[in-house]
Amino acid sequence: MSEMKKIKNLKEFSTSADRFEGANLLCPGCAHSIIVREVLNATNDDLVLSASTGCLEVCTAVYPYTSWDASWIHIGFENGSTAVAGAEAMYKALKTKGRLKQPDRNPKFVSFAGDGASYDIGFQWISGCMERGHNIMHVVLDNEVYANTGGQRSSSTPIGSSATTSPAGRVSYGEKKNKKDMVAIMASHGIPYSAQVAPNKWKDMVKKIQHGMEVDGPVFINAVSPCTTEWKFDPKDTMLLTDLATDSLVFPLYEIIDGHELNITYRPKNVVPVEEYLAAQGRFKHLFKDEYKYLIKEWQERVDANWAYLNRREEARV
Amino acid sequence: MANTGWDEFEIGAMLRTFEGEAGNIAQTLQEDRNYTENSSFRASVADWRIEKPVFNKDYCIDCQFCWVYCPDISIISRDKKMIGIDMDHCKGCGICVEVCPTNPKSLLMFPEQADEESVIAQWPSKEEKEK
Repeated sequence: MSEMKKIKNLKEFSTSADRFEGANLLCPGCAHSIIVREVLNATNDDLVLSASTGCLEVCTAVYPYTSWDASWIHIGFENGSTAVAGAEAMYKALKTKGRLKQPDRNPKFVSFAGDGASYDIGFQWISGCMERGHNIMHVVLDNEVYANTGGQRSSSTPIGSSATTSPAGRVSYGEKKNKKDMVAIMASHGIPYSAQVAPNKWKDMVKKIQHGMEVDGPVFINAVSPCTTEWKFDPKDTMLLTDLATDSLVFPLYEIIDGHELNITYRPKNVVPVEEYLAAQGRFKHLFKDEYKYLIKEWQERVDANWAYLNRREEARV
Repeated sequence: MANTGWDEFEIGAMLRTFEGEAGNIAQTLQEDRNYTENSSFRASVADWRIEKPVFNKDYCIDCQFCWVYCPDISIISRDKKMIGIDMDHCKGCGICVEVCPTNPKSLLMFPEQADEESVIAQWPSKEEKEK
């Protein structure tokens, strides 16, 4: 096992040499690359990466350019996780047979996917990887919509959000189904580590990624990634939106160890009302009309109930 | 394409980011790397910008918030010091300006054609906090 990179503070973190390059084609202000940078900079080990089809994939691998400085593979929409799992299985087999050229190097296997490729299309493949117990990490860049293809709803899209296949208008308030609790579903596989992270809490994120890379077995990470195009806010406000998401407890930051030990890793000092989080985004602007105002109240109640549930689970250690 | 057999298709593409032996990339800074033409490091998105960030080092406290939150690896930090902005890769999103904690901010957005020296000379002064 190689030594983990020591990152005590941001100044130390800033000496990292990035393995993700600029001049990718992600929108200005996209949170995807902030998350990818924080994940890649958390370790000095070699990396074997994959990306499922989605914004990250189409924007970082536009022929003849690539933005990745580590081994990176893309196959299809659904099987980013299995591609990396296959590489990991091969690595393990070669190691057992003693046929590795550099057996002392200790590569980490990470697959990136959007919420469409994880919550919907790649769901059974990820579930398979988790069940088989590959030593991989799956990072979801959760922007709650199929942003790459024009903003269709995914099963991560929350209630009241206006997406192109669930538009808000005279007869509808937009998406009617609640978001799937993916972290809990993945934790139910009994995997050693699953966590929810946000790019604005970089230290919490780096700690979780490093822990995830240290443990032996599959790891699931869900990262909130505000999308300036589909959430409809100004590119400069990406970090503000992430702050609002974590401080309003819409995206609580927690980890689940071995499928049952839940720890809340960030408790905001001042909890922001959900209304402020909704008001900052264009996709929720119809909720502030008189006829849909009751939905904001429901939102707040749902978020409060979820927070209470997480607190109870943390206390009961189940 | 009509006469292409199953075994004659392109099976995919492989791009190399570095010339020759890559070595330990995780501990090699960008200026010491030997990029190929296929790395997007060699490309530029400078023409996406409408406004550009201008860095005034007089007010900078080297907190590195801009470095960690820059989506385009455009903040150049060396030896724990912020030394400048990579104008080839900056898309002008303005996140660095938003997260800058100093008063006045040490990064501000200006129109793309603004002259850097003259805007630094007219930098806004410290804002009094409302009580």
